[in-house]
Amino acid sequence: MIERSDTSETLSLSQVTNIEKPEYSEHDKALWLDACYKIEEAGYGATVSQAFAINSSDILQRLGLDSVLKLADMVSLAAIKADKKTAERLSIECLKITIRFENDTSLANTWLTLMEQVIKLAPESAFLVLNRMDYLLYHLSLSHLEGWLLTGLRAGASDPKKRFSYFSFEDSQAQKWLEHAAGSMSFSDISRETKAYLGALWNIHLPVREKHIHASGERVRRSGFGLGLITVPSSFPGYQGDIAHQLYRAALAHIGAHITYSGTSFSVDQLKPLQIALISLIEDARVEHLAIQDFPGLQDLWKPFHIAKARGAQTANQLFVRLARALADPNYDDTNPWVCKAKQLFYDHKDEWNDSFISRKIGGLLANDLGQMRIQFNAKTYVVDPPYRDDNMGLWDVEDQDTSESTQADELLSNVDIDEMDNSEPDTREETNEIDENNATPISLVEEDGIPVARYHEYDYMTEQSRPEWTTIVEHSPILGPVHLIDDILQKQAYMVNRIKSLMSSTKISQPQKVRRQLEGEFLDIDACITATISRRSGEEVDARVYARSERKHRDLSIQVLIDVSESTNDKVVDSNECVLEIERQATALLAHAISGLGDPFAIGAFSSNKRDDVHYYRIKDFHKPYDHLAKARLAGLQASGSTRMGAAIRHAAQDLKKQHNHRRLLLVVTDGEPADIDVSDPHYLIEDARRAIHELAMDGINVLCVGLDSGVSHDLTRIFGKRNLVMIDSLERFPEKLPSLYFRLTT
Amino acid sequence: MNLNEYLINQDPYYLAVGNEVKHFEAAYADRMPIMLKGPTGCGKTRFVEYMAWKLQKPLITVSCHEDMTASDLVGRYLLDEKGTVWQDGPLTLAARYGAICYLDEIVEARQDTTVVIHSLTDSRRVLPLEKKNEMLTAHPDFQVVISYNPGYQSVLKDLKESTKQRFGAIDCYYPTAELEAKIIAHESGVDDKTSKLLVNIAEQTRHLKGHGLDEGASTRMLIHVGKLISRGIPLHEACEFGLILPITDDPDIRKALSHAVAACG
Repeated sequence: MIERSDTSETLSLSQVTNIEKPEYSEHDKALWLDACYKIEEAGYGATVSQAFAINSSDILQRLGLDSVLKLADMVSLAAIKADKKTAERLSIECLKITIRFENDTSLANTWLTLMEQVIKLAPESAFLVLNRMDYLLYHLSLSHLEGWLLTGLRAGASDPKKRFSYFSFEDSQAQKWLEHAAGSMSFSDISRETKAYLGALWNIHLPVREKHIHASGERVRRSGFGLGLITVPSSFPGYQGDIAHQLYRAALAHIGAHITYSGTSFSVDQLKPLQIALISLIEDARVEHLAIQDFPGLQDLWKPFHIAKARGAQTANQLFVRLARALADPNYDDTNPWVCKAKQLFYDHKDEWNDSFISRKIGGLLANDLGQMRIQFNAKTYVVDPPYRDDNMGLWDVEDQDTSESTQADELLSNVDIDEMDNSEPDTREETNEIDENNATPISLVEEDGIPVARYHEYDYMTEQSRPEWTTIVEHSPILGPVHLIDDILQKQAYMVNRIKSLMSSTKISQPQKVRRQLEGEFLDIDACITATISRRSGEEVDARVYARSERKHRDLSIQVLIDVSESTNDKVVDSNECVLEIERQATALLAHAISGLGDPFAIGAFSSNKRDDVHYYRIKDFHKPYDHLAKARLAGLQASGSTRMGAAIRHAAQDLKKQHNHRRLLLVVTDGEPADIDVSDPHYLIEDARRAIHELAMDGINVLCVGLDSGVSHDLTRIFGKRNLVMIDSLERFPEKLPSLYFRLTT
Repeated sequence: MNLNEYLINQDPYYLAVGNEVKHFEAAYADRMPIMLKGPTGCGKTRFVEYMAWKLQKPLITVSCHEDMTASDLVGRYLLDEKGTVWQDGPLTLAARYGAICYLDEIVEARQDTTVVIHSLTDSRRVLPLEKKNEMLTAHPDFQVVISYNPGYQSVLKDLKESTKQRFGAIDCYYPTAELEAKIIAHESGVDDKTSKLLVNIAEQTRHLKGHGLDEGASTRMLIHVGKLISRGIPLHEACEFGLILPITDDPDIRKALSHAVAACG
C-alpha cells in the first residue's frame, strides 16, 4: 500500500516539476511537499493524495502557499469527517474555482472557508455540493452561494436526511432558495406590488398564490385563475430582472382582463381539445382588446411578449403562437393563409367583441379549418404561449374533472398565503370562541392540528439578512383548564389583590390638575394676573404667562403579554414545589386582574416552538375580548412543551398590538431563559434574531419589555432586550407579587 | 360690528352631484345644523363656501385640532393696558352677528370641547358665556355646519352620540366620473381627454382603499395634477409628483400605481 502510493506520489511530483514555474520560493515548495507527504501518510488513499498533489501544485502557483496549506487542512478534514470521494473532489474543485476566480486569493479563500463550514456541518452533503459547484456558481455569485448554503444548513439543521435532500435538490425548497439567492425574480419578491397593480386596474382583490413547484410539467409555468383564487408560477425560467417583473404584471393584467370581461365560463360539452385551445386563444385576444380599450397602456405591456415570426414549421403550436401575435398586434402580417383568415375573421367581428360567444364561434370555425389542413394537435404537450397568458382552465366549466379540480383547489386554499388569511382569520376564531362559551365544557378543542396563520422572516446574523417566510406560526386553540384555578390564585394572594386595588385607585382616577402660568389657556391664572399687573404698574417687564388650564392625564396604553411555555418551564423552581410555568401562571393571573381593573386594553398570548415551521401560539385573551371565564380557563390550561423560538413569537404577538391605536404600546415577554430550538445548533442565531425582532418593533413604536425568571442559568437576555428593558427576578416565589407592581411602575 | 370681511364675494365654482344644494337650503331655512361627511378633498369646504355665497351669509371657518379648547371657540379674556378685555371666539362671533359657523374636521377636537356647540344647535339657540356672565342668544342668520371624514373614525375619534343627533347630514363623495372630469377640466384647465384620464387613474387608486391605501386620490389631488399638466409637465411625471408620491410611502404600492398609470395610456 505504502509502496504503491509512494510511486504515485513520485509520479505526480515529476508531473509537477514539468510545469513548475519559479514563482514561489524553494521554502514554499518545501512546505508544500511537506503537506503532500502529510496527506500521503495519513492514509486517506491514493486517489485523495494524488488529487491533492496534482491540483495543489497548480494552486500553489496561482494562489500561493497559504491557500495550499488551507486546502491541505481541508482535505484532511473532508477525509475524516466525510469520505475519500469528498476529499478527492475538494482538490479538483478548488483548482477549478481558482481558475474561475482568475487567481483571486481572497475569493478562493472565502470559498474554502465556505466549504469548511459545509464539511463540518453537513459532511454527508459535502460531496453533493462540490459535485454541483459548476451549476451553483453558474447561477450564484460567491456571496449568494453562501446565502444558499447557509439556508440549506439552517433548514436541515440537525437532520442529515433533510440536509441531503436539500443539497441534492430533491427538496423543492432548494431550487426556490437558489432562485431567491440568485436574485432571479421570484413572485414572492413582487407579490405585494403586483397584487396592488391588479387591484388598482380592475378592483380585483383575490388571493394570489404561487403554484406548487412539485407539480411537475410545463403547465406549472403558466398562471391560472378560478375558484376565487389566482395562481402564478413561482418564477418564469429564462426571464430575469425587470423583464420577469413585467411578465408577472402582464400575466396578472391578463387574468384581470379575463375576470372583468370573460363573464361566465364556457361549458366544455362535446368540444375537442383543439377546439378548446383555439376558443381560449380567441377569447384571450378578445378580452385583451377590450382591456386595451379601457387601458391603452396595456398594449405596451403585452406586445413585447409576442415574438412569433412568420416562418418555421407549420406545427399546430407554431401556428397558434403566430395567430396569438396576429390577433394582438394589428401591425403584424403573417404569411400563413390560415392565420390571415383568422385575423380577418376576428377583426371583421369587431362590433361583437363585447360578447364572449364570438370567441366560441371563431374558435370553432378555425378548429375545423385546422382539422382539414391535417395539422396534428397534441393536447398533452400544448402549452399556452406567450408565457404571460394563463392556462385557460379558468375559462372552462369542466364538469367531469370536478373532483380533481376541487381537491386541487382545496389543497391550494388550505395553503392560502398569510396576507389573505389575515382578514378571514379572526372571524373564524371568533366563531370557535362563541361555540366554546355556549357549550361551556372545559374540554380541549382539536389540540393537535393548529391553524397556520402567518409566516415571518427570520434574521440570520451570519449573512446579515432576513430570510423571508422562514418561520410559520401555528395557532392552536388553548386547552381549557379549570377556571377555579385562577380564582384560587387570587384568593391565595388576597393580600396582593388588596394592594393592587389600592394601587389601582391611585393610578386610575387622576384628578384634573391645573397647569398654571401659561401663555394660552382656558381661564386666567389670577395670581399671575395680579403679579403681572403689579409688574406693569411698577414699570417692570410684564410676564405674559397669565393663563391656566386644567388637564387630566390620560392613561393611554395597551399591553400584550407573551408567556414562554417551552418545556423548560416545567422545571421545578429551587426551594419550591412549584414549576416555572406555575409561577408564570400565577403572575399572569394577578397581572391580568390588575390590568383589567385599570381598564387598559390588554391581550395575553403564549408560545412554544417545534422547529421553524411549527411555532405554536396560543391566544389566551385578545384585545377586543373581555377577561372572562374563557380566558381564565385558557390561562389555567396552559401546558409546557417544545422550545423557545422567541423572535417569531414576538413578531406574531406584535401584530395585534400594531393595530392598537394607543399612545404607548407594550409587549411584555415573560420567559425563563434564552431562545433556542431543536433545529438550531448555533446558540447565537436565535438570540440575534430575537434582538432584531425587537429592533423592528421599536421602529413601529412598540416597546418590548422582558421579565426574566432566573432559573440559575446564565443567559443573554440582556443582549436581546437591553439592560433597561429587562427585569430579572431572582427570587421566584415572590415573582407573582412583583409583576403587577412592576407593571404599575413601568406604566405610570 | 359687521361681518363683511367674512362674506364671499366671488361665485365659487361648485358642481352639484346630487340634491345637496336643495337639502342645504331647506335645512338653512330652519337654521338646522348640518354635518358634511366625506373623504378628504371631495369638495366639502367648497360646498359650504358655495352655499354661503348663494345664501349671501358671512362664513366663519374654524379648523379644529386636538389642542383646541372651548375658549378657542367661545372667547376669552385678554389683557390690554388697562386690564382684562373680553375677546369673542369665532363661534360667539358667528352667533352674535349672524354667520354660518363652519367647524372643519370636528372630530379632531376633543369631545369635551365640542359640547359647547350643544346649546346653539338645539331649539334653545343660545350660548352661555359663563366667564362674561352673559347669555348670548343667537342671531337669526346663525347656523352651524360641521364636517368630518368618516375614514379617520376610530374608537378614539368619534362624535358623541348627543352631538351627532343634533345634525342633519349630507353624505359627500367624489362626484361621478363624468362630473369629476368636468370639474377637473374647469379647475385645472386641462382638456377633456386628460381630465377623463385623470378620473380613470383616480378610480384605480380608489380601488386600493383598504388594500394598501388609506384613501384614494381626491378630486382636489386630481386638480393639482391637472394644473401641473397645464403647466407643461408630462402626465406620468405629474401623476408621480402630484399623486403617487404624496399618497403613499409604501414602495410596492408606489410601483403598482405608477404601472397602473402607465396602463391608462
